[in-house]
Amino acid sequence: MTPTYYLLLSALLFSIGAVGVLVRRNAIVVFMCIELMLNAVNLSLVTFARINADLGGQVMAFFVMVVAAAEVVVGLAIIMAIFRTRRSASIDDTNLLKY
Amino acid sequence: MNPFLAQQMQTVEAPGIDWGAILPMVIVFGAACVGVLIEAFVPKHQRWSGQVVLTLGSIAAAGIALGAYVSGRPEHGVVTMGTTLSIDTPALFLWGTLLALSVAAVLMIADRSVEPGGSFVAQAGIAPGTVQDRAQVQSTGMQTEVFPLALFALGGMMAFTAANDLLTMFIALEVLSLPLYLMCGLARRRRLLSQEAAVKYFLLGAFASAFFLYGLALLYGYAGSVKLADIATAAAGTDRSDTLLFAGLGLLMVGLLFKGSVGPFHTWTPDVYQGAPTPVTAFMAACTKVAAFGGILRVLTVAFEATSWEWRGVMWAVAIISMAIGAVLGLTQTDLKRMIAYSSIAHAGFLLIGTMALTDEGLSGTLFYLLAYGFTTLAAFGVISLVRDSTGEATHLSAWAGLAKRSPLLAGVFTFLLLALAGIPLTSGFVGKFVVFSAALSDGMAPLVVIALVFSAVAAFFYLRVVVLMYFSEPASDGPTVSVPGAFTTASIALGVIVTLLLGLLPTFALDWAGAGGFALGG
Amino acid sequence: MVPAVNVTFAPAGFASASRAPAEHAPAGPGLTETPADQVLAGGQVLAQEAAAGIGIYLPLVLLIVLAAGFGVFSVLLGPLVGPSRYNKAKTAAYECGIEPSPQPVAGAGRMPVAYYVTAMLFILFDIEMVFLFPYAIAADALGLWGLGAVALFIATFFIADFYVWRRGGLDWN
Repeated sequence: MTPTYYLLLSALLFSIGAVGVLVRRNAIVVFMCIELMLNAVNLSLVTFARINADLGGQVMAFFVMVVAAAEVVVGLAIIMAIFRTRRSASIDDTNLLKY
Repeated sequence: MNPFLAQQMQTVEAPGIDWGAILPMVIVFGAACVGVLIEAFVPKHQRWSGQVVLTLGSIAAAGIALGAYVSGRPEHGVVTMGTTLSIDTPALFLWGTLLALSVAAVLMIADRSVEPGGSFVAQAGIAPGTVQDRAQVQSTGMQTEVFPLALFALGGMMAFTAANDLLTMFIALEVLSLPLYLMCGLARRRRLLSQEAAVKYFLLGAFASAFFLYGLALLYGYAGSVKLADIATAAAGTDRSDTLLFAGLGLLMVGLLFKGSVGPFHTWTPDVYQGAPTPVTAFMAACTKVAAFGGILRVLTVAFEATSWEWRGVMWAVAIISMAIGAVLGLTQTDLKRMIAYSSIAHAGFLLIGTMALTDEGLSGTLFYLLAYGFTTLAAFGVISLVRDSTGEATHLSAWAGLAKRSPLLAGVFTFLLLALAGIPLTSGFVGKFVVFSAALSDGMAPLVVIALVFSAVAAFFYLRVVVLMYFSEPASDGPTVSVPGAFTTASIALGVIVTLLLGLLPTFALDWAGAGGFALGG
Repeated sequence: MVPAVNVTFAPAGFASASRAPAEHAPAGPGLTETPADQVLAGGQVLAQEAAAGIGIYLPLVLLIVLAAGFGVFSVLLGPLVGPSRYNKAKTAAYECGIEPSPQPVAGAGRMPVAYYVTAMLFILFDIEMVFLFPYAIAADALGLWGLGAVALFIATFFIADFYVWRRGGLDWN
């Protein structure tokens, strides 16, 4: 079992997340897709840590988790604020700002 | 013996910390923490004064610490906190720039004379459009958390410009972004727009930072380390596939260019600049730009100088797209804040030209440009916040018609700032463009400079359109009034105007300082 | 090939101190002594794993039992200790397609806002654990400096807690 498969899986997950951000309409789902992207990166990091025989990648994965958690808190607060105003989390409804 | 107690007693060496070098950053972060405690323990009516004193005091203290360190600094910079921070001349210059800009921005944030209670919402939890919301618009309360948030963002920006490895850069990127996302949603008036700006900025910002992170992971796979110097070493000779290197660089740059609101990654900029409270827009436009380009400069110079032939073509395209979008779409705008946002996209293109030069002139030119642009755009947003009607700021262009007849002073100041943004001689904008373009010329990028000059001319047209509108149209009878600014906003605008003028007339001292040394490559 | 399990902890900055050697010693049967030059804990643990046989899985089994016990305990705790007050809506049969009651209204959506605050607080503590666990593993190796660093970390963490507490984030209503 070569680690390359994990890298491919990670790239696949990252792409699914990225496509999800672009095509989904619900802010919460978009946000979850971003989380998926971050965690795909985590998989890459630990795989590279294994390939490089270096602990750094694993520790970096911790930092990424922390950042992801901080983003969840800030993101939920912002999305909740706009949800309470509009009673909808659809990003198509947030359309006041345009040229 | 229990295998789970089979611990290795090997001791880990503590990383060396040069406290003198990082003191400005420590002061800013420490003050931010104290600010949170003030929010927790100080009664409501004393918070504003406490926060203002703390914020301005800590920025001043950080400035003094920076000044004290600069005079006796080692010539080639120092790498400290393990190897995570590199305090070298560009980092110190950018720290100085950031601290000076944030003084002006904090003054605008703290102002309560233009709008009673300031431009921030009294209580963010109140839903827009409700009875409570109409009450909070009239109240004089303010969500004073803005001050610690601004300090956290400032600290993150300082860490970002000094980051010596990509992980530190990523953490700093988040530390500077997360408070900004929140600050965007805290406007007192037009709260729906403000919240919408926050959602857009947050979702797109998080999307971009995911790209940055994937780039980091690929470069880690390529070089076995995320230190910028190690990536440069690995690029010189490694058995790993170059795909990792260039895919990593590309993804990394997406994240960085997004923060600098460059080229095709600019989509958030106009919306967020328009929706966010104007003092926050000023803070973002000036300081985030400085931090982002500081980061781009460091990454490109330290880690990817050897591979510049491979990526330069792509960056040419990005710079051209950025200038084209900024200059052409800026022409069609009817809202002043959006117009300045497109102007910032065009300026990001100009800055990118200097960043690509990778010479000493390119470095010092870009640093100077950042300093000059930051103060000019900050003061411009300060002026915009003064023109108001009954619903708040009157940012529509039609409202500015004939403003020179109502307030010649304001129109004069704004004209001067617009001319600086356009790059007319005797302003800092001209000197900035001149040093950046001449650095690009000497590095063999003549076609790009010609294109940049064309787009400068196009962009100058929409600045001049506003000037013409202010001076040669009749004011509408129900037009906006020009608020008399209090001491804070006056000081902020005056600072921006004076620096713009000084850097235009006597640019040498700042250029010397900007060119005093390169990046510390050690670590 | 046995994966290299390295239990020393090092922040990203000191990667050089913790780089695992590429030629990791395979844990052969009967290899109970660690070579003197093998400085990494990973090799030592693995060597002893092979010697102890099935016994080393005992802690894992204990952990599973503990986890299952905690689950059962938590599920049973509510019905046993909590008050049981029934109302009509609770006992009514669930039907799909009908309007949920109460209707979402402005300010209080389908879920009380308090849940979100709790979730956010949980994340705060979650993050704290993420860093405390690796520190605990390597506490000896990090010495006094590490203690100072982690104390500073917890102190900063408590600043946020104070803010939440003083602003009523811990009150359910």
